[in-house]
Amino acid sequence: MSEKRLIWFHGRECPHCRKLEPVVDQFESETGTKLERLEVWHNEANAQVMRSLADAIAPACGGDLGVPAFYNENTGKAICGGRIDLAMLLSWAKG
Amino acid sequence: MKELWRCHVCNDVHLGSKAPGVCPTCGARNAFVLSDLDEALEIIGKQPALDDQAKVMAAWKRFSDQSATVRLTSKADEVELLSKGVVENLKGKGQRYCPCRITTGDPGKDLALICPCNFLKQPAYKETGECWCGLFVKRDEK
Repeated sequence: MSEKRLIWFHGRECPHCRKLEPVVDQFESETGTKLERLEVWHNEANAQVMRSLADAIAPACGGDLGVPAFYNENTGKAICGGRIDLAMLLSWAKG
Repeated sequence: MKELWRCHVCNDVHLGSKAPGVCPTCGARNAFVLSDLDEALEIIGKQPALDDQAKVMAAWKRFSDQSATVRLTSKADEVELLSKGVVENLKGKGQRYCPCRITTGDPGKDLALICPCNFLKQPAYKETGECWCGLFVKRDEK
């Protein structure tokens, strides 16, 4: 059975995603945990993965799928939007 | 169901569930008659495509300038990045979709993702005073 992932769905031209990149880097550095970074506008396979998780992610994004969004395969918990910070990421990762 | 209407005075074309009471172009009252796509396309002719960043940003600025409630963000680098994404989505996905949303694959539903979307009704705008991607902000926001 494959290992459960912490996934970051992002878009190459999404300003919030760009601003979050150093926060994600810091998260990875502090926790030693790598996020699976899936770009959804230039990679249709990644977009399909995100759509398949719409039931969990869309409510966190206010009803529609959007980026940046984070999905925890261990807990099924998603967080979404431009106001995510390191504390929110740490809490989301813990479950 | 939305239908095409033509002003019989100035040939303004309108798509909507009912005819405008006053023509926004010439001011004629009760002047719209039911039209169809062939007639409308003949009237409209070939319009310049909004297919590069400068044109897209100019369209956003016009939208912003005419609005009493919202305006373009003052973060020029974000406007630049988002216009790049919108143009790439036009080329890759067929419409000027918001680069911070994601298409559903249903062309009808995805019409709601064309930028500017109807962000005024979205929870993000109500909570933060910004559209989802931060491109448009309430006039009293920074």
